[in-house]
Amino acid sequence: MTNAFSRDKFYYLKRVLSHPADAFYEIRHRERGSVPIALICVMLFSFCFTINRIYASFIVNDTNPRSIDALMELSGVFVLFGLFCVGNWSVTCLMNGEGRFKDIITVAGYALLPLLALYLPATALSQVIAAGEEAFYYFTIGFGITWSAVLILMGIMTVHNYTLAKTLVTLLLTFIAMLILIFITVLIYDLINQIYIFGYSIYTELVFRY
Amino acid sequence: MLKTWKRFIVICIALFICAPTAHATIVPYDSYSYDYWENVVFTPAPYVPGDSISGVALGIGPFSSPQGLAVGPDGLVYIADTGNHRIVVLRNDLTGVVRVIDSFQNGDREDRFHSPNGVAVSNSNQLYVADTENMRIVVLEAGEPVELVKIISDPQSEMLDAGFVFKPLKLAVDYADRVYAIARGMFQGIMVFVPEGDFTGFFGTIAVQITPWEILWRAISTREERSRQQLFIPTEFTGIDVDPDGFIYASNIDPQATQAVRRLNPKGEDVIRTGENENLGGDLWNIYSDSPYSGPSYIIDVTYQGKGIYSLLDSRRGRIFTYDHEGNLLYVFGGLGAQAGAFRQPVAIAALDDRLIALDANRNELITFQPTRYGALINEAIGLRYDGDEALAVEKWQEVLLLNENLEIANVGIGKAYLTSGDNVNAMKYLALGKNRTYYSIAFKRHRNELLRSNMPYALTGVTLLAGAWFAVSKIQKRGKTNTEGGLMGD
Repeated sequence: MTNAFSRDKFYYLKRVLSHPADAFYEIRHRERGSVPIALICVMLFSFCFTINRIYASFIVNDTNPRSIDALMELSGVFVLFGLFCVGNWSVTCLMNGEGRFKDIITVAGYALLPLLALYLPATALSQVIAAGEEAFYYFTIGFGITWSAVLILMGIMTVHNYTLAKTLVTLLLTFIAMLILIFITVLIYDLINQIYIFGYSIYTELVFRY
Repeated sequence: MLKTWKRFIVICIALFICAPTAHATIVPYDSYSYDYWENVVFTPAPYVPGDSISGVALGIGPFSSPQGLAVGPDGLVYIADTGNHRIVVLRNDLTGVVRVIDSFQNGDREDRFHSPNGVAVSNSNQLYVADTENMRIVVLEAGEPVELVKIISDPQSEMLDAGFVFKPLKLAVDYADRVYAIARGMFQGIMVFVPEGDFTGFFGTIAVQITPWEILWRAISTREERSRQQLFIPTEFTGIDVDPDGFIYASNIDPQATQAVRRLNPKGEDVIRTGENENLGGDLWNIYSDSPYSGPSYIIDVTYQGKGIYSLLDSRRGRIFTYDHEGNLLYVFGGLGAQAGAFRQPVAIAALDDRLIALDANRNELITFQPTRYGALINEAIGLRYDGDEALAVEKWQEVLLLNENLEIANVGIGKAYLTSGDNVNAMKYLALGKNRTYYSIAFKRHRNELLRSNMPYALTGVTLLAGAWFAVSKIQKRGKTNTEGGLMGD
């Protein structure tokens, strides 16, 4: 396996944007992708998203800048990303998906590229528009979202060697799997908490008695 | 050593005694407003409680559940002392009683009121009393001696149900002596009477609002269940006031807390304006619980203060909400409690000169509120803007900002003045602080056009030069290439 940060792997991002189908195939079968670079993409996406929320002009921005914490946004994005990857992996494992976990991470991370790249110009654009001209801003953002959605769809389809219909079904199931994951996490947290409280009350009872 | 200690203590005590006494008034409530994100922002108190005036202090025995309050054109204050079946007239400074009206000469006999709930005074200084349990409106000559002018009772119209009992609660009289009455159990709207005393029709009916959830719920319930459900009836009006132009301000209870006041034109259409958040319902954040303190504001009365400013009285939390003619919430103050200046059961509000006076039916007191410098400045600035003197309002807004730099309407006021004077950069700065998208955009567009107009020649020249240079360079390169090629061919 070659170095994860090699020059080739960085240049390969360009190929993902220009020839997504080929690029995702080579990520799966010729080790052209890199998990660390994908994670960097996710991190950059979180930063661009936060910058957009703080610095987009108030013409298009309803967020109170004082309520934003970049670190919280970063962890939120990573948790969602992790949930998606784990959810997709668990579903595709059962549905004859050919992709490995690292392929899913790579594809999902690389697919965020257009969105993160377009958030910055959109933020700059928002500074030079007035009310009534918001369409330019929303078109830029919408274009990025569409491009990213198409990339994720193609990526999941290619690495698992699925048909389009099967991919869509898998993505729906992935969403359900994510909800189940959240539910189980909350359940476990609550159970552990109850056990802890039970143990703690026994402890206090003993302390008060003896 | 001991001596120094003693001296130190003596100095401390002396300092403590001689220290200038604090002049801050202790206000028994929080004053606040809402910002762009609908967060509560606490503000300096716009009004502080003044006197609490009880009937005992005035020497006429305690009030008994007084319900109605009005201010005459000569500044006299009229209180409908409902439980005592009398009308009390107070001097403008509220220090003494001018007269107590508990009876009047009706033809050849002496007549009395029975539970009068509302009073109103016309421009010609005639007193209108909603004599609720006598089912009539009594019109008296307000000056001395008290003379009966007319009695409005038993309205006749095919619009009214056969068994309708006319029990007027609140009244307003406009400049043409038309009478607007809110009657008990009358959901069709405000009843209008011409000066001759005839009932002419309803006014400002509130349409019934049904949520999709209620429609769904009704659709799936059986006929029997439906008959036991609550009826969908329009909300009743609670309070009424009239402005000098003859527009009627009428408050109502809105469970959705979006619009608790209407400004009705002579045709009965609602022409009120709403601010940026499109809300005229009092508190924005409704806490839902079983506590009587929770839920949407229960707007019980409205008063027109002048210059487009009007105040709403909330009996649920004892708060007074003041809006300007554009529907912006200016300030909120007042609260429930047992301290002086707090309400137990507020029922009516009126504007008396620059003061606000409110009637409490449980304390049986009239509570006055004096504007502070902060409140007075806001009122003056809004008044100047209402008159169109935005440039003069700027000074007032600057002073307001010194007292409360978070006030968005002050920033918008300054921004608009800069916009009118053509200073787009400063206008943008203040309008952005005030979070006003519409006016910010106007300033921004003008600024952008200016920038473009002044810089476009340079930009275009630069682009043309660059293009020319690039064209020339590529031409030269091409020529060099063809030359070498030609040379090769020549060989």
